[in-house]
Amino acid sequence: MSTTTIERIQRRFEGGTVPMLTKRVRQLLSIVLFLGLWSALVRFGVLGFDTFVGPETTLAALLEALSGTAMTEGGETIYEHAAFSAFRVLVAVTIAVLVAIPLGLTIGTSRRWEDALFPALEVFRPVPPVAWVPIALLLLPTFRSGVIFVVFVGAFFPILINTIEGVKTVEAEYVQAAASLGAGSRDIFRHVIVPATLPSIVTGVSLGVGLAWITVVAAEMIAGGVGIGYIIFQAYRLLQTEVIAVGMIAIGFLGYVSAAAVHRTGHYLTRWQETN
Amino acid sequence: MSKHDDPTDDASTAEPAPDTTGKTGAIALDNLNKTYDPEGEHVVAVEDMDLDVAAEEFVALLGPSGCGKSTVLECIAGYLEPTEGEVVVDGTPVTDPDPKRGVVFQENRLFPWKTIKENVEFGPRMHEGVEEGRAESILDEMGLDGFEDAYPSELSGGMQQRAELARLLANDPAIMLMDEPFSALDALTKEIMQKKLLEVWERDNRTVLFITHDVEEAILLADRVAIMTARPGQIKDVIDVDIDRPRDPEVVTTDRFTELRERALSVIREEAERALEQEDGA
Repeated sequence: MSTTTIERIQRRFEGGTVPMLTKRVRQLLSIVLFLGLWSALVRFGVLGFDTFVGPETTLAALLEALSGTAMTEGGETIYEHAAFSAFRVLVAVTIAVLVAIPLGLTIGTSRRWEDALFPALEVFRPVPPVAWVPIALLLLPTFRSGVIFVVFVGAFFPILINTIEGVKTVEAEYVQAAASLGAGSRDIFRHVIVPATLPSIVTGVSLGVGLAWITVVAAEMIAGGVGIGYIIFQAYRLLQTEVIAVGMIAIGFLGYVSAAAVHRTGHYLTRWQETN
Repeated sequence: MSKHDDPTDDASTAEPAPDTTGKTGAIALDNLNKTYDPEGEHVVAVEDMDLDVAAEEFVALLGPSGCGKSTVLECIAGYLEPTEGEVVVDGTPVTDPDPKRGVVFQENRLFPWKTIKENVEFGPRMHEGVEEGRAESILDEMGLDGFEDAYPSELSGGMQQRAELARLLANDPAIMLMDEPFSALDALTKEIMQKKLLEVWERDNRTVLFITHDVEEAILLADRVAIMTARPGQIKDVIDVDIDRPRDPEVVTTDRFTELRERALSVIREEAERALEQEDGA
């Protein structure tokens, strides 16, 4: 029996008997703790939490929603609402990308265009996207296009600002090297400025997508008619707290998936970077 | 950025007839002055500098750090505009960068977003077009076969510098401006690169202006070594290196090499002391 004693001592020194928590376990623990905290807040009625649902009821509501039960009077399921929100984000971000990147490249490369365009844009930049909702509803023909416009505003500025910043920080050495190899200004723009700016553009687009989700929910709460933001606000009015929670989970999931997609695409486009 | 200068529009210099073959490359620094005024502080980097580099000559520009060597090179490259005086290449004053004047720096300037092959083909793509297989053969010569599709960040420092040299050669410049291209490399890689450069230069006969602070490197490589004074930069002395070619790194052990080195060192020492006194006095 003496060998087992020695083994035990050895193991204690090496920490061999107590397995270190793996990364996955620690991540799982984080979620379990969160759910526990949520449950406790509801049970003990901290703040107004006694009027809210706990995780167990939410899970049941989520499963029901996922099974395709209608969420609102119109009979739309959670999938339809999610698709509407995602569609708005996709359209708005696409337009923002198509407008902000060329505009940013122009402002960044040309002093003259910068003077002509940037001061006006700077005035609008600090205005929160949601503050555009009333004017969007007044000016645009439909509520739906109004929401898309507001989401566009949310995604537009981070992409624009990061593109401009990216162009301005392109190292002069690369421009000189290209010129010494015989590149004219058009080639320098295409082969040096644009690729050198790409990492900043990717950063801008990820920030833009994040802001687009924030904006779409806010806009849908006010003027959606359909969409995740709309069901969250409807549920608040009808005091269906489990639907509020389900809506929040849906938004979290969609935001996570789209952020991951942008990250992967950006990673691929800038695969030449040392950090990759 | 303007395209190539028209060699016919200049009549102010009495240099040899402008080349049409792209195979000459005479450089004349005519009373070159370059001053900077960063935040009101007046810095004279180069003062009244004259230097003639013949076509197809290999000249090393040697000097203490901060003596304005790089400023001279950037004026020749067309990156900097001289405050006074001018740089004349084959009878034409330099105003802009030009593919005829290729440049290599200590820190390579390969485009990180292009593969090695794309980098090497960049120059040809900008003018006469890419010749199939040429990039591969140049990369092969530089010992970089198999790295065509790698990105610069995937290569070691020595390999990056070889790729940079390959990119320069693929562009076939008449003049190669090299600013301490090998000083960041380890001793062995440096020796290999020096050998490679000599090989290429002896074969293609381009003009080379090679900046270095390494006396032995300057003598090993160059036909003439121009030694610069401490700031403000001027040419203090020019040493003819009368050592037969082809040279290999063994020549550093010969008596003639030692003599030339001592001569260069004494000029540099004198300059370094003067520079120190200047600083003490200031």
